[in-house]
This record gives sequence, structure tokens and C-alpha cells, in this order.
Amino acid sequence: MAHPLREAAAISGIGETAYTRGTSKSALALQLEASLAAIADAGLSPRDIDGVVPYFPGGGIAEDFIASLGLPDLKLSLFVPVGGATCVAAIQSAAMAVATGVCNHVLIAVGRTGYSGARVSTRLQQFPQFALAAEFEAPIGMFAPAQLYAQGARRHMELYGTTTRQFAEVAVVTRQHAILNGNVVMNKPLTVEEHHASRMISDPFRLFDCSLESDGGAAIIISRADRARDLKKPLVTIMGVAEGHPESPASIAQRPDLLEFGLVKSAPRAYEMAGVGPKDIDVAEIYDCFTFTVIRQLEILGFCKTGEGGPFIMDGRIGLGGDLPINTHGGLLSQGHVVGLNHAIELTRQLRGEAGRAQVKDAEVGLVTGYGDMGDGSIAILRRAA
Amino acid sequence: MNAPTVAPPPAPERPLPAPTRESQPHWDGMREGRFLLQHCSACGKVRHYPRPVCPHCFSMASEFKEATQGGAIHTWTVCHHPFNFFFKASAPYIVALVDMDAGVRVNAPLRGVNEADLKIGKRVRLGFEPVNKEVTLPFFVSD
Repeated sequence: MAHPLREAAAISGIGETAYTRGTSKSALALQLEASLAAIADAGLSPRDIDGVVPYFPGGGIAEDFIASLGLPDLKLSLFVPVGGATCVAAIQSAAMAVATGVCNHVLIAVGRTGYSGARVSTRLQQFPQFALAAEFEAPIGMFAPAQLYAQGARRHMELYGTTTRQFAEVAVVTRQHAILNGNVVMNKPLTVEEHHASRMISDPFRLFDCSLESDGGAAIIISRADRARDLKKPLVTIMGVAEGHPESPASIAQRPDLLEFGLVKSAPRAYEMAGVGPKDIDVAEIYDCFTFTVIRQLEILGFCKTGEGGPFIMDGRIGLGGDLPINTHGGLLSQGHVVGLNHAIELTRQLRGEAGRAQVKDAEVGLVTGYGDMGDGSIAILRRAA
Repeated sequence: MNAPTVAPPPAPERPLPAPTRESQPHWDGMREGRFLLQHCSACGKVRHYPRPVCPHCFSMASEFKEATQGGAIHTWTVCHHPFNFFFKASAPYIVALVDMDAGVRVNAPLRGVNEADLKIGKRVRLGFEPVNKEVTLPFFVSD
């Protein structure tokens, strides 16, 4: 029997602000601007929103949405505090809410001043998820995700021969896609040589292996599939969705296998719910906090075996026209860092046929991942409904 | 008229651990130059970082025991960008994640070793560096 959540919900609206470095707007203003854009995209009125999942911490809380949008009867206020896995994990929570009839239209929204406000890389230590890292690792000089994740990347390189040339491939292809999108922070071509010449941040990660600190807002609306069918845009349903949490979720250092992320648990569940496998995926938007993180997630997702992610992404495979185009919008590496909600937006756009110059031909089924904090992993598989 | 004097910016401060009720014995041990690890009083299994409950048998009783200081490199990074400016003077510095013989991992700076000599399995030994009266932090040297 099919899973009760399979295609019970849809992404009915998407909205984004400009992605910039520098803004005079508050995180809440960016979040609301993107939310209004998503509501208009769906052909709804703000008054139709009856569930809100704001990205936390940062931006507003449900009370801000009620007050700003005049929501007459909010039925669900939820935080899903798993860092970069939040936005896709929130799709699961929102799908549950609309499938069970608790809500009609749930808004998931991010607003971030990661460049003009407090810088993201140093702020993370204040999150409760990072308390153990703050106690045991920050004092010896390990603070930022770039440092904490670098050790896993180094181990993958030592065990499997993964190379910085392969890291560069992710950065360069992602940049090519960003330029096609236009609403991006990084809009100039990047070469492999420029990647290799960029300054070392935390070996093996160079500057261009790291995602951006940027300002911007993004929002999507999750509606029950039968209601979404009557709305403005082509129907994009949620075939499968799942969140997963790794062992030792608050400390990468103490995890038995540093390369086992939450996605190891969530990906098989999402594929099973969706009734599809890696071979059915036409386009993938992979959470790209770091270049290496993309390579490892492609292994976990079953596109190749563990250790083969480096060779797998070479030779045009992940570019437009390749076997598996990824991050067709420019991702966190080149478009902007709105905690991956831009990945879900881009996948929706691809499946609607609205991706413009970055459109993957005949894209019908795609997947999007989230990767958060110390390795929480979320995934959604979407389909252009007939 | 004198030009207004501008105070120099304060020197960046080292981030220090804020011990919890669970972790206090570990930090007390570090201060005494002893590597103390939390063991479950019921099933005997070691756990790090310190936590209130044993995830194996769910006993809330635990005791700290002194552990050996040797281990082997699991992986490492070399930190170049100082995300906290306190570490600017020491960058680039190697941080080794070590599989301790005692059965847990420790992340700490590795001193006196060239980057070219780093490899998985390399033997290292834990050292103790007092940074003030209360706090002593770990580091590694080649064994």
C-alpha cells in the first residue's frame, strides 16, 4: 500500500527576494517580502495561510506573521531547528499538516541577513545544537562549519583518493548555472585555476569550496494536492519526503563514522515513499554548504557508491545536458544562502518548466536535499503531476 | 588642542569552556593533568562528551576514571582562516581528531608535526596546557 503522505501534498507557491551582499532590510522584512511573493505565485491571499514554519533562529516567528499578514486563524506554528536541513524537513511537517486536514496552506519562510547582519560563520556557536562543540572544540580553535566539516572531507580524500580538482568541479559547474539564473550573488565565471588559487580557509576547503554569507529571503507554500490543483500554477506534488538524524548529532568528532549523515537514514525512506529510485531522478538540487558535501550526498543518495563520488561528478555529468544536472540555480555556493529553501524553489521551477535558460529538458521527477548543523539530513522527491 | 585619543581595540579573548554539571569532573581532571572520562556505573561503557544518561543501558549513574593519553590520528584539518581573531597569531594550525586508546575521540591542536607527515593512524599523545587558573586545554604531540 502506498504511503499515506505520497502525493498528498504539493508545493503550490514559491517566492524569493533579490539575493545580495548588503541590504538595508531586516531579516523579517526579507522573509515577509518572499512570503508575499510565494502567496501571489500560488494565486492565494495572505489570509489563506493557516500554518507557518519560519526558519529559526533568525527572521520572524509566527506572531510576526499573524500581525504582518493579518492571518485570521493560524492553526499551526512550528519551528524545525535542524540548521540547513530545516527547510526540506519542514516540507515533511507541512505535508503532514495539510494531508491530515489540520491546515490548508502552510507557509515555510526564511529571512536572512547573513552578510549585512551578524556573520553566519561565527554566530552558529550560539545555537543549542552547537553547545558541545562550543564547550570542547571552540576553545582549541574549531568554531566554524568550514573547520568542523573539513575533517570529514580530509578523511574521504585519504580513504578514497577524492581530490581538490573534484571539489573545484562542483564549484565551477554551480557557478555556470548561477550565471544562467541571474538572481545571484556570484555572477562571473569561475575557472578551476581560480578555485585552486583561492585562499585556504580550513584545509582541504578553500574559499570557493565554501557557501556564501548573503542577504535574502525565500518562501514556499505547501497545500493539499487536490487544493493545489485548482491554484494558479502547474501542479508539483511531493512524492516522498523524510528527515534523518545521524549518530552523535551534536558532535561530528564523536560520530563513529564521520561520513554517515542523517541522509543515510532519510534517503531510503523518501525513495520508498515516492516509489522511485536514483535512476528516475531528472534533476537534483543538493544542499551545498561545501563542495565536498555535495559529492558525499550524491554517494549516499545512491547515484554512485561510497568513495566514487569524486570521479562521478566529473566530465560534465552534473552540468546542464549531463546525466544528472545539479544545483541548476547556483546553490548556496553561488546564488545565495537562504538555508537551502532556494533549492526547493528551483526544483519546483524546473518541474513546472519555468527555469528559463537553466531548464532541464523534460524534467518530470527531481529531488532536493537539506543538510544541517552536524549532519542532519532531509530530502524531498517532487514530481510534475499530469 | 590635543587630538582625541582612540583606545586600542581590546585584545581578542580566547573562547573558554563553560563546564556543565555533567562535564565539570572532566575539566577538573584536565586542570590536574589527568585525562578523566565518564564511565557508566552500571554497564561500564565509556562516553564522551559527558552526558547525563548512558545511551546503552540508560543508567544515570556514572563515574569519572583516569584514561591513558595515547591515540592514533583519525583525520585532521589545517585551520588558516581565524574565525575567532584570538587564533590569528597561531594560524595556520593543525587540529587532529584522534581515536584515543581509551575508546573516545579528542579534537585538539597537533604541535611539532609537519603537514606533509600527517596520515591516518599516526600515533600521538595528549598533553595539557593550562590557559588560566581554572582551565587546562588538551593538545597533541607526536608519540
